[in-house]
Amino acid sequence: MILVIVEQREGKLNRVSWETIAAGQAIAAETGWPLEAAVVGGNVGAIATEVAGKKLGKVYAIQNAKLDPYTPDAFAAALKQFITSKQPKLVLMPHTYQVRDFVPKLATAMGRSVISDAIGYKKDGDKLAFTRQMFQGKFVADVTFTGEAPWFATFQNGAFRGDKAEAGAGAAPVETVQVEIADGVVRNKPQEVFKEAKQAVDLTQAEVIVAVGRGIKEQKNIEIAKQLAEALGGELAASRPICDSGWLPMDRQIGSSGQTVAPKLYLALGISGAIQHIVGMKGSRTIIAINKDSEAPIFEIADYAVVGNLFEVVPPLIEEVKKAKAGS
Amino acid sequence: MLVFRTPLENIDRPQMEADVVIVGGGPAGMACALRLSQLIDEHNAKSPDAPLSKENIYVLEKAREIGQHCLSGALLDPRSMRELLPGFEKEAPLDAQCNKEAVYFLTKTGKFKLPITPPPLRDHGNYVISINKFTKWLGSKVEEAGITIFTGFAGSELLYDGNRVAGVRTDDKGVDKQNQPKSNFEPGYDLKAKVTILAEGTRGSLTKQLVSKFDLAKDRNPQTYGVGVKELWEVPSGRIAPGEVIYTMGWPLTMKEYGGAWIYGSKDNLVSLGFVTGLDYPDPRLDPQHVLQDFKQHPFIASLLAGGKMIRYGAKSLPYGGWWAVPPVAGDGWMILGDSAGLLNSQRLKGIHLAIKSGMLAAETAFEALKSADASAGALGKFQQKIESSWIKDELWKVRNFHQGFEKGFLAGLFHAGLQQFTGGRGVRNRYPAHAGHEHMEKLSQLPADGGDEAHLLGPAKGDGKLTFDKLTDLYHSGTKHEEDQPSHLIIHDTKVCSDRCAKEYGGPCQNFCPANVYELVDDASQPYGKRISLNPSNCVHCKTCDIADPYQVITWVPPEGGGGPNYDGM
Repeated sequence: MILVIVEQREGKLNRVSWETIAAGQAIAAETGWPLEAAVVGGNVGAIATEVAGKKLGKVYAIQNAKLDPYTPDAFAAALKQFITSKQPKLVLMPHTYQVRDFVPKLATAMGRSVISDAIGYKKDGDKLAFTRQMFQGKFVADVTFTGEAPWFATFQNGAFRGDKAEAGAGAAPVETVQVEIADGVVRNKPQEVFKEAKQAVDLTQAEVIVAVGRGIKEQKNIEIAKQLAEALGGELAASRPICDSGWLPMDRQIGSSGQTVAPKLYLALGISGAIQHIVGMKGSRTIIAINKDSEAPIFEIADYAVVGNLFEVVPPLIEEVKKAKAGS
Repeated sequence: MLVFRTPLENIDRPQMEADVVIVGGGPAGMACALRLSQLIDEHNAKSPDAPLSKENIYVLEKAREIGQHCLSGALLDPRSMRELLPGFEKEAPLDAQCNKEAVYFLTKTGKFKLPITPPPLRDHGNYVISINKFTKWLGSKVEEAGITIFTGFAGSELLYDGNRVAGVRTDDKGVDKQNQPKSNFEPGYDLKAKVTILAEGTRGSLTKQLVSKFDLAKDRNPQTYGVGVKELWEVPSGRIAPGEVIYTMGWPLTMKEYGGAWIYGSKDNLVSLGFVTGLDYPDPRLDPQHVLQDFKQHPFIASLLAGGKMIRYGAKSLPYGGWWAVPPVAGDGWMILGDSAGLLNSQRLKGIHLAIKSGMLAAETAFEALKSADASAGALGKFQQKIESSWIKDELWKVRNFHQGFEKGFLAGLFHAGLQQFTGGRGVRNRYPAHAGHEHMEKLSQLPADGGDEAHLLGPAKGDGKLTFDKLTDLYHSGTKHEEDQPSHLIIHDTKVCSDRCAKEYGGPCQNFCPANVYELVDDASQPYGKRISLNPSNCVHCKTCDIADPYQVITWVPPEGGGGPNYDGM
């Protein structure tokens, strides 16, 4: 039997699971082995029913209150029990972060190895091989299992087409399996699920950018540029040395090794204007450059050139901007 | 805080068995792979019952694509290519055949043409090529022959089995600025090879490890180097004919520096020009990129380039030391080729043909080793004999003392070079001694504050944006790119030397000799001389000048994450 373990996170089916089902269906068609699926969690009946719409012999909802929220200890324990009792030949999973987290533990606990991140399979006689990339995809290797079943394999995202997973003639039977998870098995204490902070800044959408360069001298001086940006309702950006020094994050870097922007207004404070920076902002509609070196190349592309010390020029500028805004 | 690249410890690395691993996909490495494939094909045709496989022969190349880190003039002496691929002229990308050559001695505004071109600089019949395009072509031959080239993979360490070189470890990928694995971390591979061939180019980083481990420089002259700074120009038609070759000596250098320029006319109004400055100059403020900018302002050169456009920039070091500086080229499990071994004719400024020939001879040796399953020092030592009984030695023997003759300045050099010409390379003695170039560097306290006669060569070039360029603008035209979030691959073994000694004694020559603005001394009031070192590793064009010329010898260049570096398209 081939068992596909579909993935759910916080009660939602991970769509990549359809790809694994498609892979399982393809292998089942070539080997003639029956195909079944399983989903693991606290209460996953609904997901099992959703999956049962596909052409599968059976779908198991493997449940225990301890399986919610996800922990690698609980998942490995539950699946070990289930797999030991059902004896599938082949266990297929998508190569997701969750699977990467628990499958080494599961396989090790069962004395097996995993062929991970495969991009395909080959059936050669009665041998089943899985194709893996090496050397960053410059090479592929066909890998087979030498030991006893069950064999574990995970498939890379995109290796199969999820929309090619065949629907069944009728819904596959769903069986709920209550697994035992003894106290003390789960040692992990899950924290709140990490949500990636939304991209703090999208400089390419900013209408006004105040960019600082080496002329700002010290990290604490960035504050005045920030004030100017706030007064103008714009974003703060920088040339490479500033981000290299860690004074501003890399996602605020403008230039050939950073972002390319074209705002309505670009204020360059203490930026000399090396070509590497200029290629990232030369499309700006209006460029104002403040630099104490009158020969700085930034002045060649600036619409307004202020030759002077930015620490003398910027503070009054902030005041004037605030006044003008208050007046309007 | 600077964190330097070092292979991560205590991680599992995938292992791969290999018959032959060639580190470096330049002319030497490619010629070696191709010759090896030819020999295997011949063998398999003759002895189908005992075939040899090409499947486990690999070429590692740190550039993202074949040829992207190859930089040279270049003029190709076709001798070795005719041996490797008879009739290669019909299909290789050769831009022009040299039909006219001249040598000039320049003063600040004047020029004197040498009445006859000295025999070593006669180039009739040689080809003007783009070494980038040429290597790409050679690489495609290698791939067609069924040998795998891993582009984007650098050799980071040699693997040893006792005193036998047992293969190569490739670079760790996905390591952040603090030398910690990132989410995309991929450990380097351990390629366990029967034969490891180093074809890394000048000052190869694995070659350096090998030379140091086995003290291979013992009883040799120290290797000496030059750095060639090149610009590719497109000029209005009629300025220089395809195949026209010009060499210059003299200005902007003074009598104290060694070096000269090349100008090659190529097809489509392209001109390759560059200046090679010997890395044995006295003044730490000298800047080789500045030298090239000065050179272009000479009326002769300025009129050639006027109205043209600079389209590409690059820099690379080359070994000058000659025969007496060539280390042993083979040992237990290893061989060294081409520029890595110092196989370059410094009088003719040519090494490509020698690199190719050395690759072919190494291939013959490796082939025998595979056939007899013996890659011991005794078996691979045949490579040493093959080099010594080939025309490589004939050619290098005649110029064995050439560069050493110039150690005491230009005029002494001309005297020795002339004498050597009539004595089969001997000159005043069979073996002239040499000093490592960095030993010639003088401290600021010994030099005139205003630079004296060298003043015009010192410090950063300004650039007018048309004929001359500041370093960052030039650098932009090298197309250099690296993964930014990675540790510095320029390893300074003791940064205190920079702030506590060098800032005062030499004033930070790294800022000047680096043609890519990697090194900067920045203000830091907490340091004894108010300066500390700051690095921009992602500017690096992989020329190795810092590793060579630093007067304290505390800099080691190691490959950054594979795939990064310059993009020498068409160079």
